[in-house]
Amino acid sequence: MFKRLFIGGAIFKRFFKEEKQVEQLIDQYLDNLKMAQENFLNAMDVYLEKSFCEDLDFLIEQTHKVESKADDTRYEIETMMYDKALIPESRGDILGLLEAIDQIPGLFELILYMIQTQRLGTPDFLVLDLKELIRVSLECCDLLIKEVGALFRKSEDIRSLVSMIDNNESQCDHIERRIITRIFDSELDPFQKLQLKEVVIQLGEISDQADRVSRRMHIISTKRRV
Amino acid sequence: MSSLLSAIFLGWALGANNQANVFGPSVSSRMVKFWTAAILASVFVLLGSLLEGEACIKTYTGLTRMTLQMAVISSLASAGTVTLMTVLGLPVSTSQTVPGAIFAIGLLNRQLYAAGMGKVVACWFGTPVGGVIIAVLLYYGLAAVYNRLNINLFQSDKMLRLCLIIAGCYGAYTLGANNVANVTAVFVGAGVLTVFSAVLIGGLSIGFGIMTFSRPVIETVGKKLVKLDAFSALVVVLAESVTVHIYTFIGVPVSTSQAVVGAVLGVGIVKGFNTIRRRTMVNILLAWLLTPVVACFLTLVIDFVTHLHCVPSP
Repeated sequence: MFKRLFIGGAIFKRFFKEEKQVEQLIDQYLDNLKMAQENFLNAMDVYLEKSFCEDLDFLIEQTHKVESKADDTRYEIETMMYDKALIPESRGDILGLLEAIDQIPGLFELILYMIQTQRLGTPDFLVLDLKELIRVSLECCDLLIKEVGALFRKSEDIRSLVSMIDNNESQCDHIERRIITRIFDSELDPFQKLQLKEVVIQLGEISDQADRVSRRMHIISTKRRV
Repeated sequence: MSSLLSAIFLGWALGANNQANVFGPSVSSRMVKFWTAAILASVFVLLGSLLEGEACIKTYTGLTRMTLQMAVISSLASAGTVTLMTVLGLPVSTSQTVPGAIFAIGLLNRQLYAAGMGKVVACWFGTPVGGVIIAVLLYYGLAAVYNRLNINLFQSDKMLRLCLIIAGCYGAYTLGANNVANVTAVFVGAGVLTVFSAVLIGGLSIGFGIMTFSRPVIETVGKKLVKLDAFSALVVVLAESVTVHIYTFIGVPVSTSQAVVGAVLGVGIVKGFNTIRRRTMVNILLAWLLTPVVACFLTLVIDFVTHLHCVPSP
């Protein structure tokens, strides 16, 4: 009896081997996203506290490496899914979702490179506001990772997470407008004002993208009901 | 043995054409490998033939008196009709060609069991209607259960895939149980085969068709079904299988393709969209009318040709 159950279980596992691998790769992708987020946060902390230094260059390099690794994992998932794993509509949903999520580590990299290549200095009166914008934006990312978990593991209610991300995104918009107003009210060089405005817009884009992905996940979850 | 070649050809064509109705969605969307589906379908077709194929064979053997020559003629005419209709691009059902040919033999014999033939013809109309009703009932029933399951995306996918495979196996089983009579019943009527050897040869030849030529048919027919989502495809395959199984209990071979059309229509009614194109409906109606008529006519022609005698000129 037990032997039969064991054989049955082994056949079942073998049959759904690709699904298991996709699940593991998605976990791996989310780990990379978390790591990219940590590196970005550390890099921004170093930049806002100490400005340009070797630590910042190292953290930017680390963020780039993790972002590339996330890309590789995404391509691996893509290949595996088109090679028979999952039902067709799920393949499209997951690939679209990962592509949308992937823009977030892309934004981390873009912001850090923008600061590094343009040698952008931040005036002291903006530091606290920028830190707040980064904190709320990254909170959106944390909630987004939880929402992905909820979609794939059914651990939490997706609707409440969508609403939390939406609130954070509104808060980010508010902070973003406040910072831009303060930049243009200041006596800074007009060219620096434009550079700073661009960085702030890109920082705000993190929560905007998280909100877009979150809504997409809500649709995926809703349309699975028959 | 050579007299059975036409039956084997008919079984081969039946297997090649009908595998798409049971495993089409899973294979054409690459959820299941073709060979896995083909092996499973062949095994279950044979099982269905052996375990439940007898009832439908008895219905056909009771329709008219058969000799070996008549059995070969009707089998050949059925196979010819399937080929002709396929070439013309019309959806063909062996469950209509065989009664058409038997009807012609009945005319030649001047002996036809009208009530039995009436039952068979009534079931032609009942098949798609049954498919619609069962699909609607199954959709509501299964949706109620599915929506209550607190499962994530991966679990839902695994469950749907597994259910599609199980439904495919059940579909193959009912295909074998119901349609094996189309392949070899006339030879049982002629006394050439026992019921057991008839279901065995019939089941094997259908399986042979599945293994050798169902792939291109799946690629074309299966893709029409896969436009439905996985849940709807599951309902369609299950509704088709249940419909065909019910007719197996009644003892009448019916068309799996017509049951699928009914089931797709049923899902369309529930989901509120038009799943069948008008052109497809016209083709199906045309085939319903033409198939038995062509089979009957072809049987009469073959019989006429075989009875021609060469008279030497004076």
